[in-house]
Amino acid sequence: MNAFTYATAHSPASARQLVADKGAYLAGGNDLLGLLKEYLVSADILVNIKSLPGLDKIERGEKFWTIGSLVTVAQIEDHAEIKETFPGLHEAASEVASQQIRNVATVGGNLAQHSRCWYFRHRDTQCLKKDGDLCYALNGENRYHSLFTGNTCISPVVSSLATIFASLDATAIVLRDGQETRQNMAELYQRAWENPLAHNSLKNGDLILRVEIPTTRSRSAYLQVSDRHAFDWALVSCAAAADVVDGKLKSPRVALGSISPVPHQVETANRFLDGKVLDNATATQAADMILKDAKPLEHNAYKVPLAHALIRRTLLKLKGDA
Amino acid sequence: MSNWPAETKYIGHSTARIDAPAKLTGKARYASDIQAEGWLYGMILRSKWPAAKILSVNLDKARQIPGVKAAVVARDGSFTIRFYGEEIAAVAGTSKQVCLDALRAIEVQAEVRHEFVVNENEARKENAAQVWAGSPNVPATPHVRENGSVDTAFPECAAVIKGFYTTAVQIHHPMETHGNTVSWTDDGVTAWASTQGVSSVRDGLAGALQLDHSQVRVITEYMGGGFGSKLGAGVEGALAAKLSKAAKAPVRLMLTRFDQSLAVGNRPSSFQKIKMGATADGMLHAFEMENYGTAGIGAGGDSGGGSGSADIPAPYIYKVPNTRVKQSAVAVNAGASRAFRAPGNPPASFGMESAMDDLAVKLGMDPLELRLKNDPSPIRQREYKLGAEKFGWKEKYQKPGSSSGVVKTGIGCAGAAWPAGGASRNTQGEAQINPDGSIEFRLGVQDIGTGTKTVIAVVAAEMLGLKPEQITVRVGDTRFPPGPGSGGSTTCGSVSATVFDVCTNALQQLQTQSGLADARGENWFAACKKLGVNPLVVHGKWQPGLTADHACGVQFAEVEVDTETGLVTVKKILGVHDCGLIVNQVTLESQINGGIIMGMGYALYEERVMDDLSGVVLNPNFETYKLPGIADVPDIEIVLINMPERGVIGIGEPATVPTAGAIANAVANAIGVRVCSLPITPAKILAALGKVPPATA
Repeated sequence: MNAFTYATAHSPASARQLVADKGAYLAGGNDLLGLLKEYLVSADILVNIKSLPGLDKIERGEKFWTIGSLVTVAQIEDHAEIKETFPGLHEAASEVASQQIRNVATVGGNLAQHSRCWYFRHRDTQCLKKDGDLCYALNGENRYHSLFTGNTCISPVVSSLATIFASLDATAIVLRDGQETRQNMAELYQRAWENPLAHNSLKNGDLILRVEIPTTRSRSAYLQVSDRHAFDWALVSCAAAADVVDGKLKSPRVALGSISPVPHQVETANRFLDGKVLDNATATQAADMILKDAKPLEHNAYKVPLAHALIRRTLLKLKGDA
Repeated sequence: MSNWPAETKYIGHSTARIDAPAKLTGKARYASDIQAEGWLYGMILRSKWPAAKILSVNLDKARQIPGVKAAVVARDGSFTIRFYGEEIAAVAGTSKQVCLDALRAIEVQAEVRHEFVVNENEARKENAAQVWAGSPNVPATPHVRENGSVDTAFPECAAVIKGFYTTAVQIHHPMETHGNTVSWTDDGVTAWASTQGVSSVRDGLAGALQLDHSQVRVITEYMGGGFGSKLGAGVEGALAAKLSKAAKAPVRLMLTRFDQSLAVGNRPSSFQKIKMGATADGMLHAFEMENYGTAGIGAGGDSGGGSGSADIPAPYIYKVPNTRVKQSAVAVNAGASRAFRAPGNPPASFGMESAMDDLAVKLGMDPLELRLKNDPSPIRQREYKLGAEKFGWKEKYQKPGSSSGVVKTGIGCAGAAWPAGGASRNTQGEAQINPDGSIEFRLGVQDIGTGTKTVIAVVAAEMLGLKPEQITVRVGDTRFPPGPGSGGSTTCGSVSATVFDVCTNALQQLQTQSGLADARGENWFAACKKLGVNPLVVHGKWQPGLTADHACGVQFAEVEVDTETGLVTVKKILGVHDCGLIVNQVTLESQINGGIIMGMGYALYEERVMDDLSGVVLNPNFETYKLPGIADVPDIEIVLINMPERGVIGIGEPATVPTAGAIANAVANAIGVRVCSLPITPAKILAALGKVPPATA
């Protein structure tokens, strides 16, 4: 990796100042250090943000819960009340990587992580995402790539937390230019939909402070399937959340990961599900709607039936026994 | 009958690895742990192009970086690059980062060639780029073997199947990467090598460096796996030596996982077009196969035991009166193959055993019954029957695809053969018996993680009437009497027979010198005391009548397949194996466990993925080159057939052979259609089930 200086910040404002225009924030470091070592990212300063006060807390609220950006994935996984209140969030957290990684991986880092596309990650391919001329995956080895995209890069978002947060309609609070801005998951990734160079909508120096999860959805679920049982990236992940009143879905949201540069959400499907009693036929119809515009490529078309199955199963999980 | 004792205390029982405490406490020093006085890090610059002509390599700027102590070119003058990752130069420096900086400072002038091919099916095409200029990627004439008359035999068959069974290139990924620490001084070269063959590394290094064999010493106290890929010093060994000479300091050059993915060998792919027929009673009658696979830019490397080609044994363990087999290796711009645990056998087993099950379906027969009718080995017949009973085959077997529900269960079986597994007849060893009764065995063999040291202790303890912990075992040094490379599953037999002979000689001499009629057991210390002040050193070598070859083995698999997601879960593997006289049961079972887990990786996960356009290996890490993790490992049950009358036979290789075939058959049995291609991924399961829509782009 290239040489850098290192500083520890004690307030978000000083972190922002230290990181200036060529630095990077360092929390768990799972993604950043790999990117630096492969010379995929270069930073003149690493600003340790692990000492920022108050960002490592999970706070319950009547209307919403707040999860600090320095909360580790393991903290979420192990949190008994999260398991009860947002079971889907517990499930998503427990599917992230391995126990060792979850112990240090933070919520902010999970949301801000870069593409895992193997062309992007390869030291000797100059792909679109690295300001090269073409997407190698488009006509190449695209088994792990997107079914949907708004641009010519087909690397998908892989954050499990973004997927479940999208279904829970959570909001990220991001410090930008000295102001706290609010972005839901669609907004947090919108730029990756439009711009092949982007992994998310964060601008240089933006710092995720916390995530707010509304308590309006009492049911949530998350499922993913990988090539193997040992820790592995999802081929497709799916999250669903809703309230259930008199057996009918209220404010349902479905989101999928690993099939689009953004958490894949189809509002018409959410509206269709609203007020419905869940059964296999309804879930199937919703899945059809969610995947209607999929553009499968040579090697990733299997994701269509896989996503279809996961949407149905995740939705039916919302029914639960409760 | 073999000459082994009939009644035993240790042989055939279980002794825990004698070096387990050293391994568990970190006291054991692997090649990657060696810190010779004043040592430097070494690293290799690899080609970022799959094809190029290197015009010049300028090391000046690299040498100017503070901390860089040496930089050398991999080859002098102008040379041709034929695969992504081929070695160009190497550097030695005081830290990893210094070396990384130095690699980036090396100036390479190259004529980049855009004509290259990394896909074996593309490479077969007439207008494909030539990997070796002036030489076709596929030899004009395939290797052909023919028995009987296939063309007249097929019409005589009651059932004929055709299949196209393919296997992927499997990369060598031992837990300890390849590498050495090499110290080159005026007295000669000492190499601490992660190797399966201290002798072959010594000879290879001496050749590469133009030194006498006597000037090179190779030490391998502990090593973390080789599986056929670590029989030679490798390019990295010679480069470490050159760096050490230039830097006048020891250089530790261990490859990274990235390096490992490119240039230390692999198992060739296979594309097996099989046509097979049987008579109405299920007897195999005709077999025809055309197979090709890639061994990359060549085969063998300097592995000493290279696979030599991409050919596989066919029709594998079966005898078919009428056969025609045509095979060829396809050159592509990728790293060369090397011997890989039972070279040729796992792909052969997968193809043939898949074809057997497909034929059983066509005949309407139970696939186990079809095997019992056709398998010529009485040992495997016995193993199948024993295994079927343990496994509950009759109770569990359902017609393919008839399991109900979304998650379907299925079972399958497959057989193995390993024709080698005998012993190296040149193996020698010695023991030093001290007057205080302590005894040290020295063999120039190496323990590659299979438990060789423990085997030596077990045999010696048995023969001398001592306990294994009383035996000091030293291996992995070319200064000891020469032993074989650990390949072909021959090590266990080689050392067992050699130690037997050393002990026989030791007892004879000890009894003569001490005047005691029997120096074993309780008399041992008294006998040793009579040696006076001088220790007794006795030699021995492999002797006939103690070892054999041709291990068999069968495995049964039970799987669950989610027909909506394509996810395969292996629930159970039962392995029934023979390896002659069981020397040490617990390390034997460990070998079989490892073989089965490796076979699972081959069946479900492992595959080198290359990019046609850029020519790079796309999965040069454990993130995307997928190996089984502990969460993938099923319940493994092992049943051993002890056959002391045959003598000692190695197990390392047969243990991994039938796993992929058994799993593939279980998957086909579960879902009612066959996935003909390894690895069997969720994507391929869904495709086989006809659930995948066409691509739109």
